[in-house]
Amino acid sequence: MIRRILAIIWLSTILAVAAAAPLLTVYDPVQPAGGALESPSAIHPLGTDNLGRDVFSRLVYGSRMSLVMAGMAGAIAVVFGSLLGSWSAVSRRQVDAVLTWSGNVLLSIPGLLLAMLFVASLGTGALTVTLAVGISAVPGYMRVARTLMKQIRQEEYILAAEAIGASSLRIAWRHIIPNARPRLQVLATTQLAWSFVNTTTLSFLGFAGDPSTPEWGAMLNTGRGFLLQAPHLALIPGLAISLTILALHALGTTSRSHTTI
Amino acid sequence: MIRTNQPSALPILLILLTALILTACQSSGITPEGLVYGLTLTPSGLDPHLNASSELGIPLSSVYDTLIFRDPETGEFVPGLAQRWQVSDDGCRYTFFLREDVIFHDGTPFNANAVAANLDYIVDPDHRSQKAVFMLGPYAGWSIPDPNTIVIHLTEPFSPLLDSLSQVYLGMASPLALETWGPAEYQFHQVGTGPYRFIEYIPNDHIILERNPDYAWSPSIYNSQTASVERITFRFFTDSATRAYALETGQVDVLGEIPTTEALRLSQLDEFELFTIPIPGIPFQFIFNTEHEPTDEASIREALIQALDREFIVSTVFMDTSPIAQGPLTANLLPPTASTTFPAYDPDAAIRVLTAAGWDRSSQSGDLSRGEIPFVLTVIVPPWGSAPDVAQLMAAAWQELGIDVVIKLVPGFGSLLEAQRSGDYHLIAMNDFGSDPNVITSYYASDGLYNWSGYSSPDMDQLLVEAVLSSPDGEQRLAIYREIAFLVQDEALIIPIRDYVNLVIANQRVDGLHFSSQGWFPYLIDVRLNS
Amino acid sequence: MVPISYRRSSQFLISIARRLFESLLTAWAAVTFTFLALRMSAGDPVGVLLSRGLASPADADALRIQLGLNRPLATQYVDFLSGLPGGDLGQSLYTSRPVADIILEQLPYTLALAGLALVITLVLSVFLGIGAAWWQRKPVGRMLQSVSGTAIALPVIFVGTLVLWAFRAIVTSGFLHLPPTGFQLFIPALVLGFSNSGGIAWTLQAGIQENMQAPFFLAARARGVRNGLPLLWHALKPALPPAVSLFALEASFLFTGTVVTETIFARPGLGRLLVQSILDGDFPVAQGLVVVAAFVYTVSLGLADICSYFLDPRIGREV
Repeated sequence: MIRRILAIIWLSTILAVAAAAPLLTVYDPVQPAGGALESPSAIHPLGTDNLGRDVFSRLVYGSRMSLVMAGMAGAIAVVFGSLLGSWSAVSRRQVDAVLTWSGNVLLSIPGLLLAMLFVASLGTGALTVTLAVGISAVPGYMRVARTLMKQIRQEEYILAAEAIGASSLRIAWRHIIPNARPRLQVLATTQLAWSFVNTTTLSFLGFAGDPSTPEWGAMLNTGRGFLLQAPHLALIPGLAISLTILALHALGTTSRSHTTI
Repeated sequence: MIRTNQPSALPILLILLTALILTACQSSGITPEGLVYGLTLTPSGLDPHLNASSELGIPLSSVYDTLIFRDPETGEFVPGLAQRWQVSDDGCRYTFFLREDVIFHDGTPFNANAVAANLDYIVDPDHRSQKAVFMLGPYAGWSIPDPNTIVIHLTEPFSPLLDSLSQVYLGMASPLALETWGPAEYQFHQVGTGPYRFIEYIPNDHIILERNPDYAWSPSIYNSQTASVERITFRFFTDSATRAYALETGQVDVLGEIPTTEALRLSQLDEFELFTIPIPGIPFQFIFNTEHEPTDEASIREALIQALDREFIVSTVFMDTSPIAQGPLTANLLPPTASTTFPAYDPDAAIRVLTAAGWDRSSQSGDLSRGEIPFVLTVIVPPWGSAPDVAQLMAAAWQELGIDVVIKLVPGFGSLLEAQRSGDYHLIAMNDFGSDPNVITSYYASDGLYNWSGYSSPDMDQLLVEAVLSSPDGEQRLAIYREIAFLVQDEALIIPIRDYVNLVIANQRVDGLHFSSQGWFPYLIDVRLNS
Repeated sequence: MVPISYRRSSQFLISIARRLFESLLTAWAAVTFTFLALRMSAGDPVGVLLSRGLASPADADALRIQLGLNRPLATQYVDFLSGLPGGDLGQSLYTSRPVADIILEQLPYTLALAGLALVITLVLSVFLGIGAAWWQRKPVGRMLQSVSGTAIALPVIFVGTLVLWAFRAIVTSGFLHLPPTGFQLFIPALVLGFSNSGGIAWTLQAGIQENMQAPFFLAARARGVRNGLPLLWHALKPALPPAVSLFALEASFLFTGTVVTETIFARPGLGRLLVQSILDGDFPVAQGLVVVAAFVYTVSLGLADICSYFLDPRIGREV
């Protein structure tokens, strides 16, 4: 319980920070503001990076990039995954089979690899990374959504609706989706956590292109070149990433069961 | 009773454990006794006659000997495979009198025919040499008056020729090996006369050299007659962030291109020694594209230079290890003068020029634009030499003026060339090496291979031709290059950043390491290992 | 527990065959998808040509012909597919060497890393999972549970960087003077093994705890099964199937983990090869790697499904 409260506090904090970035920072995240690799001090609470840029400013602005990328990727996965999964669950056996099989095909390529495949096709850059992570997560989410939908479909009120002749679309919209929503939400939070991991990992590996725009994964990558001189350069964005993922997981899992997507 | 073992995991586990054991046995075989030397770029080909990478010269300079060698301290040419040489009065015939006691690693004898075979291999148009053929200049063929003398013919004088012949790209390979393997396969089976034999090359993985026990013709610039280390393994470390780690954990004994702050840190430790090797040639710079708006106007280019505090950029990224570049050639090739020095940092002057040209900042976004057109700069940057860091600082400075800067990181040399080909850039980063100022020719000649600025001028072409006609070490030649440098500065064709310095760290096992005139290539024959 | 009935052996063989066929079909589709995805983007490998010093259109044509890029896509696809059973995965754009050779060269490094990581995962997840369940109400148990949760959540990029930092700090402080090669394999394997162990540990723990509430468990206690290991075994045994499936799953997903670990710890291997080939645009190599990964995953999942039938015949009816 305490976990969930802490998680909510952390997530609201970084969302607020991302939104209010210009108000919180004195220095431009892209401009050198001091000497290189300075330790945290009064002027620069988190020190400066290897080009003299204020780390705190970069962290704050970086939250925008990281959260937007992960959020959009997660949204793509959840929205399209739910839609496709629901559609698959309520439609004719052949359609269901085709969709399920397609999903399995894509699932046979591990998630990060699939995302890298899309990046290889679409080119590097923040946008393509976001799309790649989102699309590569759709099959997994679709499968989970479909299973959920099928379970709900067996429940009695659905059978009743079918008995009186309601169309499958109406059933899906008025009955299945509203009832699935709470469970899907929980899964969505976990999915968001995985999207966050994958977007920051791809950014870390250098697929996100532009090096000056601050982003947590990229900052972690740059920071590891200076681990012994200025460990804070890597550890601070790394910690930010990890706390966010922990928070999302804490919200997404119930105390006993655990589902990996 | 049901089976309660886990068969699904068991086969996987068994396979992986077996693989683990086999690999452990195998990797102890891969780990060599001897020296481990690090390489930082993977060249697309390893044949020095055909490929241009500086990286290949690091191992291969010890596999091949050249006709002459160049003293890294004095710049003088000393005998190598040629005991002495003569240049004709008209500068078009170079006669080399060869040693008679030299044998290739495959046992075949070195003689004038061997030299001829090498020259033919280099100039063969089907082989598409990327560097060696250009180093021969106005080459017109060879003649062999007797079995151990060869004459190289030129159509015009070419002062860089001796320097060219002292480099690994014109190293002497066994004609039998060249014939047997052909241009595609030879890189995997190289045979020279040098202090080390070429054993194996697995691209992206390793190169293995072994000591040549028969080596007995070492030039005066080597400190030893024969090599000391039995075996040298070259491994690739393309990720700059992990190079210090590789040194710390003993994965490699010598590694260059160490990021500045890490090199300085390691040099403080007893276990490591830092070598700061200046690389003469084309300094690390950004080349303007004069065929793309708005960098097609010289005044704009100059303004962009003035907007940069290049001193600050160089000192931030390179600390004191690299001097700021003052022109199109490094200071050790062409000492700068007042007339060739590039404009200093003057942001106000930059703004004045931009405003006068019609570029205003919109009150809303702060972006610079002329009418409807925003000022956007596309900068192409490779990953080596801290280039991305420099680019970011440049972008930050220009963004202060309201210019929108797009940095395009390209992962390798091939993609750098491709990006340049597309023409879709305003600035592109480049650096090159060479111990003769002639290396500048292909950058500014109208038909030059690396003329990425798109600049074409008959005056410049004339100067470049004159420069190679003059005698190698005349003051006259330097004066011509100074004129060239002035033109480059006057037209603001480049933004010079730093004279390239390679930071090499060697651990305490290594003694006697020193480098050639080109800076990149170690003389491995003199390296000794303490245990 | 019901012994397997060999009366249904023909039915059993049919379902195995069907399962294998499905696996192969899925693998084929994944391979085709990979082929199309990369060919769509590859276009003309101009960069490759230029980096090899081939500038003229004639040279470009020659290389295109050599690589087979001038033929229609369908022909290239058929060639690619027909080469697969023989182990021909095409040629690298940059070095013209067979992709299969390149992959085989890097394979031992990744196998060593993944193999050791798998062993560590096994050990850690068993310890964490069983420990957290057995001592579930004690602080020790809760701590072990937190460790599992952390292992699931913490991304490899951070765990790896953290461990790298600690390792380098120790090495350079002179405390551990130039460690033997073994450490260079063990440390990254530890990172990878730890990251993968969380999920399995959690599943094991949840399963055991659930079983401890079940009637059969209370019956066992009532029967007088001794407290301690024998009793634990009763709760553990039925919890194994999902954990084992997850383990098989993780084993084939290990490849993904090696991508990051090899990058951070400067180790050669397939993961690093994949990153480099994508950044370089060497699409035959990238394609070969993904194809191999997809194939391995599909086949091992198929095998795991078949084998899990032995563990619990009830599953078989749903196959």
